[in-house]
Amino acid sequence: MDDFQTGEETAFVVEEVSTIIKESVEGAIGGNAYQHNKVNQWTSNVVEQCLNQLTKLNKPFKYIVTCVIMQKNGAGLHTASSCFWDNSTDGSCTVRWENKTMYCIVSVFGLAI
Amino acid sequence: MSSTDLARDRAAKLLKKRGSLSSQGTSNEYNLHAHRKQGSISTISFMEDHTNQEHHHKPAVKMENTYQLGPTKKFPVGQITQIISDVLQSYLMDERYEVELCRNMTKTLSDVVKARVKELQLPRYKIVCLVNIGEVKNQGVKMSSRCLWDPTNDTFATYEFTNGSLFATASVYGIYME
Repeated sequence: MDDFQTGEETAFVVEEVSTIIKESVEGAIGGNAYQHNKVNQWTSNVVEQCLNQLTKLNKPFKYIVTCVIMQKNGAGLHTASSCFWDNSTDGSCTVRWENKTMYCIVSVFGLAI
Repeated sequence: MSSTDLARDRAAKLLKKRGSLSSQGTSNEYNLHAHRKQGSISTISFMEDHTNQEHHHKPAVKMENTYQLGPTKKFPVGQITQIISDVLQSYLMDERYEVELCRNMTKTLSDVVKARVKELQLPRYKIVCLVNIGEVKNQGVKMSSRCLWDPTNDTFATYEFTNGSLFATASVYGIYME
């Protein structure tokens, strides 16, 4: 079978994805301060918006989007990932975002179909 | 080139292509202050390792059709949840939260869990393993994830562990590769 798609069109472009993540976070949380009853809504909005924008890229990828929002009070949080996949096509991007009252960590994994 | 050379070359290429990657050592990180808005800061880290660029110049290896439409073995969610809980409990049961320890622990745990899942030898499955460790200090935390994939074959397993001093969550996503 011939493959007519090449290079940029099918690659996981980190710059593109990190921009999408940052816009989604800014869009969903913006300048709000941490509110317990809003967090549920915010995390859903962030992953939802990220996935929406990622699908609009029209690339042959399956995506995994995860979002962690944590209130700032001096507590630590560590995150790490490990993958078994095709290095030449698949990629990941993690953005750590923070404002005065909370941390938001969003990870996107793109796996070529 | 002799046939043994060719075979060796092909094996090396396959190994390279199906290699695994972890955030340990290979991730890049940088700060971007250009996008600062409303007193917020963002940091980006990513993995992008296009090691086999020269690959495109070589003729593709022709494989015979398998006519196989689905996985021979489905992603065993229960078994993998068990693996994750075993690993988290054995490593974290008696630990207190310490910055340096937990920093290394997240990396170690994600590698260990990935290796254990790899041992199950699930053909055609790609594995993504994500580990979070945090300090218990009366703060609010919310984690969520959403995926764009084929729900008939792709799935995930997750487990959370907490003791008095720290909490840990680990998720393993199994993505069927067509």
